[in-house]
Amino acid sequence: MIVFDEVNKFYGDFHVLKDINLTINKGEVVVVIGPSGSGKSTMLRCINRLETISDGSLTVNGISVGDKKTDINKLRRNIGMVFQHFHLYPHKTVLQNIMLAPMKVLGQSEAEAKKIAQKYLEKVGIANKANSYPSQLSGGQQQRVAIARGLAMNPEIMLFDEPTSALDPEMIGEVLDVMKALAHEGMTMVVVTHEMGFAREVADRIVFMDEGRILEEAIPAEFYANPREERARLFLSRILNH
Amino acid sequence: MLDFSILTDHLDMYLEGFKITITASLIALVASLVIGILIAVIRIVPFKPLNALGAAYVEFIRNIPLLIIVFFFFLGLRLDGLMAGTIALSIYTSSFIAEAIRAGILSVPKGQMEAARSSGLSYVQTMRLIILPQAFKIVIPPLGNQFINLVKNSSILSVVAGLDLMYQGDLISSRTFVVFDVYIFVAIFYLLLTIPLSLGVGYLEKRLAKSN
Ligand SMILES: Nc1ncnc2c1ncn2[C@@H]1O[C@H](COP(=O)(O)OP(=O)(O)OP(=O)(O)O)[C@@H](O)[C@H]1O
Ligand SMILES: [Mg+2]
Repeated sequence: MIVFDEVNKFYGDFHVLKDINLTINKGEVVVVIGPSGSGKSTMLRCINRLETISDGSLTVNGISVGDKKTDINKLRRNIGMVFQHFHLYPHKTVLQNIMLAPMKVLGQSEAEAKKIAQKYLEKVGIANKANSYPSQLSGGQQQRVAIARGLAMNPEIMLFDEPTSALDPEMIGEVLDVMKALAHEGMTMVVVTHEMGFAREVADRIVFMDEGRILEEAIPAEFYANPREERARLFLSRILNH
Repeated sequence: MLDFSILTDHLDMYLEGFKITITASLIALVASLVIGILIAVIRIVPFKPLNALGAAYVEFIRNIPLLIIVFFFFLGLRLDGLMAGTIALSIYTSSFIAEAIRAGILSVPKGQMEAARSSGLSYVQTMRLIILPQAFKIVIPPLGNQFINLVKNSSILSVVAGLDLMYQGDLISSRTFVVFDVYIFVAIFYLLLTIPLSLGVGYLEKRLAKSN
């Protein structure tokens, strides 16, 4: 469903993604880990063209992401994205945040969009905050709204870039629970996260990146018990002893 | 003590000038806002040649004296004083407004654009629904200052016989040979416009701050 084929990316002279080959199938949950600056976010953001690739091919459902003829807005409808810092719209209520794209992009009526928004708010466990503004919510609640906002477009793919890194420890669980439920329902997910519990429980594959390369791909049990790469081992010992 | 007979004897002239000043200011306010938004957008759209064009406009206009722009329309294009003054005022103010709006747009966090675009909204939709409403809040105070400056700058109409408040003051003064009192009343009329404007901006600022 998502296919990276010999993808390279440069920021000027800086080679940020090196020969990336990665195939993510429908319904798969792929967790991407690696040291800071290794290119995890960049790789994720290429999938919905928040970043453009310099070389190689990247397709989603067989459609070339980089192709000038590709209607990027149409492609993006099908790919939800959740950011580390939520990026909710501060001037809109929770409900309005979730209803905006379904109404403006999919052309849903207000009533229809509202019904769907409420359904997803219930799903992420904060139906009672529908009319609050983002600034009135805790970080964990904001992130759950952001997930609901992504889901309301009924996408086939959800991308998560360190969705719990900006949260206080006691709020991480509530967000991970929502993501786990989503994974169990068969959503195709690409998740940049260092949350090992999450990865062990729901990931089909771990992708380890370092200095712009994918160094290792393995199933979680294997990866955490016995990483093949020395760098992966080093990296794991560092996050474990933290 | 102020000689109030100056005011009462020439009330019709004062009011006529007041009316012209209000009219010219209102027209220039709307026009400069429209041009200013347009230039701000031209400066930030992802298209370099347009950006350069917008930058050139702003740098050129805001770095020459207002009076020269007035003369361009009055002496150069031979428009009447009121018309030349109002157009010049609109153009001059628009360059400052463009800068204020651009700064406001740039101060909206990058993540807002990314979140909106990644949900499938187009660039234009994102600007209209997400970025501009947030920029608007940030831009209110500097915009208010520009509008206050605009009202005061409208006195430049008097130089080209623009029939405005200042021009009427000049007339009254040359007729009565009184200077001080005449212009005190002129100043009071200006304050009648600028103080409510200033209070209004302060009020808006507070109300918008609350909704966030
Ligand atoms: N716009 C940019 N211009 C130049 N270099 C960039 C840009 N964005 C990212 N980089 C660089 O690219 C490299 C990879 O960045 P990226 O954000 O993908 O890393 P990451 O693995 O997500 O790191 P982190 O764990 O800190 O989020 C970093 O060295 C970063 O400094
Ligand atoms: Mg990152």
